[in-house]
Amino acid sequence: MPRLTLTGLTKAYGKLTVVDRVDLTLEEGEFVSLLGPSGCGKTTTLRMVAGFVDPTGGTIAVDGSVLSAPGAVVPPERRGMSMIFQSYAIWPNMTVEQNVAFGLELRKLPREEVKRRVGEILEVVQLNKLAHRYPAELSGGQQQRVALARAIVVKPSVLLLDEPLSNLDANLREEMRFEIRRLHDEFRITTVYVTHDQAEAMATSDRIAVMNAGRIEQVDAPHLLYTRPRTRFVAGFVGRTNLLEARVEGGDLLLDGVNLGPAARAGIAHGVTGAVLVSLRPQAMAILAEEPPANDGLLLRATIAERTYLGEAWDYVLKPEGTALTLRAAAPPLEAHDVGAHVWLRIDPRQVAVVE
Amino acid sequence: MFLIDRRQMLALAAWSAAATKAFAQAPMNPQEAQLYEAAKREGEITWYTGQYSADASEAAGRAFNERYPGVRCNVVRSTSQVAFQRLSQDFRAGVGQCDVFSSTNGGHYVQLKRQNRLVKFRPVNADGLLPILRQADPDDFFQSSFLGIYLMGHNTRLVSEAEAPKSWTDILDPKWKDKLAVGHPGFSGAIGLWALQMRTMFGPDYLRRLERNKPQVGRSSIDPVTMMNAGERSVGVAVPSASTLFAMSRGNPLKLIYPTEGVIAALSPSAIPTNAPHPNAAKLFQEFQTGPALSAAVRLLFNESIRPDVPPPEGARPLDQVTMLAPTMEQADRGVPEVREQWREIFGV
Amino acid sequence: MSDAALPAAAVRPARFRLLEPVMLLWVALIAALLVLVAAPLIKMLLISFEMQDTGEFTFENYLTAYGRQRYIDALRNSLLLGALSAAISTVIAVPMAWAVSRTDMPGKGFTWAMVLAAFIMPPYLGAIGWILLAGPNSGWINVTWRALTGATDPLVNVYTFTGMAFVIALHSFPLVFIFVKSALDLISSEMEDAANILGGGTWTTMRRVTLPLVWPSILGGFILIFLETIALFGTPAIIGIPARINVVTTQLWQFFEDPVRVEVAAAYAIPLLLITVAMIGVQKLMLSRKGFVSQTGKGGERRQVKLGPWRWVLFGWCLLVGLLAVIKPLTVLLQASFAKAWGRGFSFDNLTLRNYRFLLFEHDVAPQATWNTVWFSAASATMAIVLALLVAYIVIRKLMRFADVLGFIAMAPFVIPGIVMAIGFYAAYAGPPLSLYGSALLIILAFTARFLPIAYANSQAAIRAVHPEMEEAARILGSGRLHAIRRITAPLLKTSLLGGWLVVFIVASRELSAAIFLVGPRTRTMSVLLYDLSEQGNFEVVSAFGGILLFITMVIVGIGMKLVGRDFMLRRE
Ligand SMILES: Nc1ncnc2c1ncn2[C@@H]1O[C@H](COP(=O)(O)OP(=O)(O)O)[C@@H](O)[C@H]1O
Ligand SMILES: [Mg+2]
Repeated sequence: MPRLTLTGLTKAYGKLTVVDRVDLTLEEGEFVSLLGPSGCGKTTTLRMVAGFVDPTGGTIAVDGSVLSAPGAVVPPERRGMSMIFQSYAIWPNMTVEQNVAFGLELRKLPREEVKRRVGEILEVVQLNKLAHRYPAELSGGQQQRVALARAIVVKPSVLLLDEPLSNLDANLREEMRFEIRRLHDEFRITTVYVTHDQAEAMATSDRIAVMNAGRIEQVDAPHLLYTRPRTRFVAGFVGRTNLLEARVEGGDLLLDGVNLGPAARAGIAHGVTGAVLVSLRPQAMAILAEEPPANDGLLLRATIAERTYLGEAWDYVLKPEGTALTLRAAAPPLEAHDVGAHVWLRIDPRQVAVVE
Repeated sequence: MFLIDRRQMLALAAWSAAATKAFAQAPMNPQEAQLYEAAKREGEITWYTGQYSADASEAAGRAFNERYPGVRCNVVRSTSQVAFQRLSQDFRAGVGQCDVFSSTNGGHYVQLKRQNRLVKFRPVNADGLLPILRQADPDDFFQSSFLGIYLMGHNTRLVSEAEAPKSWTDILDPKWKDKLAVGHPGFSGAIGLWALQMRTMFGPDYLRRLERNKPQVGRSSIDPVTMMNAGERSVGVAVPSASTLFAMSRGNPLKLIYPTEGVIAALSPSAIPTNAPHPNAAKLFQEFQTGPALSAAVRLLFNESIRPDVPPPEGARPLDQVTMLAPTMEQADRGVPEVREQWREIFGV
Repeated sequence: MSDAALPAAAVRPARFRLLEPVMLLWVALIAALLVLVAAPLIKMLLISFEMQDTGEFTFENYLTAYGRQRYIDALRNSLLLGALSAAISTVIAVPMAWAVSRTDMPGKGFTWAMVLAAFIMPPYLGAIGWILLAGPNSGWINVTWRALTGATDPLVNVYTFTGMAFVIALHSFPLVFIFVKSALDLISSEMEDAANILGGGTWTTMRRVTLPLVWPSILGGFILIFLETIALFGTPAIIGIPARINVVTTQLWQFFEDPVRVEVAAAYAIPLLLITVAMIGVQKLMLSRKGFVSQTGKGGERRQVKLGPWRWVLFGWCLLVGLLAVIKPLTVLLQASFAKAWGRGFSFDNLTLRNYRFLLFEHDVAPQATWNTVWFSAASATMAIVLALLVAYIVIRKLMRFADVLGFIAMAPFVIPGIVMAIGFYAAYAGPPLSLYGSALLIILAFTARFLPIAYANSQAAIRAVHPEMEEAARILGSGRLHAIRRITAPLLKTSLLGGWLVVFIVASRELSAAIFLVGPRTRTMSVLLYDLSEQGNFEVVSAFGGILLFITMVIVGIGMKLVGRDFMLRRE
């Protein structure tokens, strides 16, 4: 039985639907991110899971029992979950130790056990030396660790995180990303992680659910999300891409009349035919100064229209000859081409994905 | 000037203390004793008063507490109109809080009696009052408790005795412009009586002409005494003799003026409202007020004694040597509200 | 894997949620707000159309209330007085606020102390102090002036319209000061730098940039003082009657003369209410244009403007205000309170403790009034803070559909003149069926309602400062809403709520306008007794009693400073 199941989960404020028929299932121990631009309804979804917000439609079930349905909601304190907030919400009137012990005390555990478990978890997050400090005496990263410890120590059925790293500076953010993943690998708590930062989601998650305007557009493992985006939105939101018009004829994908051959067939959903939109990643193309000896038909002649050097790579804008297309392609730093130069463009058909 | 030397002062003090004590401990008459027993069960009495000054009212309250241990007197002192206003508010709200009501404006009693808001009661001690005070109401709904003399006074440093006004009409002379002080008939009952009497004697123009001299308007009739003490104004109009004498005893350079037409005498009663929460204590208080203990207590603060067996205060002209002017209660009942309204139209406040 | 320690609750049907204890609390709150704010006003509106005794519908009360020139004059006087006091206060306070907030003026601590002292001094005490100072013949200032110059005319006269407005302003200006200073504190120095770099000097910058940015606060302070002034009873009674200036409040008092005409008083007060509503409307309109500095924004550093020798000029101004508002009146009051006869001035044979002894040991009512003041103020401060806290919590956390309405009701007394409030309370609760007249409860309720907005503003700021996630973090770990409030929110709010409590206590302890209509013989407060005592012009005893009141206030302020911080009274959240 899945640990957490969202079925048709909907939230509307008046006429405005901010979460729209969301379906999502988390197996026990799974780490799933909700990824999407700001305002797409991630926090609302998460807060419905936590019980802070009542759904206007659909249900939320944990281990098969329904905790939220319209008009009937188990309050947050009886869900056995825990949550990490954007503001950390570390109580400034309590020491680190008291903060962490709070949830355990509410569970009426014996005092020695509380003490032991608090000690253990502080060890894990490397705060044992700071147990008696007050939050005001901690750095941002340390506060974040207190929040993690406080949430994990109660062994919640589901751990919820709402953009937990957005208040940290860049270096610390990267460090904490791995910390969160490490803790997950250690405790295997079923986790829903909300973020608008795709790198964060990729680094931490088993699966990512991409949200847009209240709906989940795609749920997949991070690398599949990148190579096989299923919607135009996902393709554009997760990494950069070229969206091109193409045709499917007889099971083959034709891009500007060029048949991409059997290698591209995996990217076509079954039964699709006619005009489609495809996503072609900048990394799925190679730029060649000379026509290669073996022309397998996946080569286009193109002119360099613009170029920008980004440090890790070149970002080229190309105009394939004889078409109205504009393509962006990436190339390693040593592959420099002048603006106006005529080049050959090779497309990797495996990385072309048809999107809705 | 009222000045006594040290030896006299000591003698006076000794006499007063002894006499006051004697009066305070005078045996109770049977009705009084009976009321005292009943009053002890009620425990307290609330007294709305605008008659004696705050000091004297507090002194009267203390004298009562000493004479009747176990019954506490709550003194609620304000100007008479304000006291009446509070009583009216009580009636309006249907809440009984006042046990004995004492106002300088006799008209209040006529009105309350007409509205059937007074309890009929005659204290035995009333038989021992001064003859003019003995029968305040033939039906015994209220009893005399106060004899206030209202006259004029002047600051001797600012105005010599020769220059000082002699009669109630002298103060209308423009030379007194910005030099007079007077209370307000909207607050002070005695000022209401005075204004009514002036209007009766000198016609409706009196107040208008007084206004031209821009008197400083206080609230209480006692306020002008302070104004004279301070030198803010040189002549106080319709000031109580008691407060003026008291101020003089403290070394203030004041002198009383007995106007040629006579002084205003507020022969004022007290009464028990029908909604009094402590009716027996209220009756006991009426016995106390008409008895010698009250007069003995207040005369130390220069108030007139209302009983022949308690001597008048030091420094005041004996009552048989002054002409006393006073509207009747019925006149006051109708006239004071009228004159108060007229005053407001003329003075703006 | 997960702890099963928390009971897995069954889903409860929606209708039972309405009966949660929390829900009952909300219902109680609404009831309390209705009793405190809505019912008195509605009752007042109703009886203003009722015939006395019969209760028939009539417009007569309005005709009576506005049927005389004198009554209309009183209204006009009140409006003028309000405007004049507010204007004087603004002139006094804005330079002080600017000097303290933005410049390197010396003596800021002193200025603070003076503002605080002017704020805690009850206006009627200030009025008495100024009678002693500026009585045309006997006031110290005039006596000194005559002695020095040989002039015959007085230099200043408190018994005039401007005199009265000035005395009121001297005790109201702290409100403008607080408003403007806290707004100035939020302006980044970069705003001024930008003007400087374009060639604006210090003065131009202040005039053209800094002050316009805080215009909403100036306007807010102005309106507040206007409203406070037209509702003031003590000063107009003490100064206005001798000065022969009738205002709305003293006129309302006259309608309470026998026969008590509550209906007419109500009718007379309704337009006052409309005026205040109109004022607030005007304020909204004037501020609807965008472009003022955000009151909450921080941003940018703040540096002090260097004034050079001018800083001494500004300090001189603050010193002068302190002298006029605090030092001088306080000195004469203290002198009078220890004097046998205040007119005799300062000398050893004029010194006495008699006035204090009389009040503390011989006066029947004074000790009781003192006690009443303390416990009424404490009770109403507690009620107001608890109520305001709960309402603010509901409003800010949006716990109910119409929560904003609650907030609106809680803020409404802010625009209701105190005396109007008192008449509403008298009309609604003095008589049957509740017959609360003369009871402590009536006054406590009235004070609670009157000061609810202060408590509410305070609670709102306090709760806003506590991130909702603080509570949610507790709830998700298993604590119920009330438990979370108790364990998390309340401790975090403690200090600022204590500050709010103390402010309400202090303003309640000196409240006269609302008390004067509601006190009974056993429920007189110090302010009412002071008013009664002042009737006779016995300034020695009045001053001594004022001294006792000030002493109590100082103790409370001292406690507040110790527990909450030095500027707890003047902080504007
Ligand atoms: N209480 C509310 N009332 C009305 N609209 C809301 C409320 N809470 C959130 N919204 C709206 O719902 C949308 C989704 O909000 P949110 O879930 O916070 O987005 P995200 O966390 O993805 O940035 C936003 O447009 C927001 O304005
Ligand atoms: Mg969010």
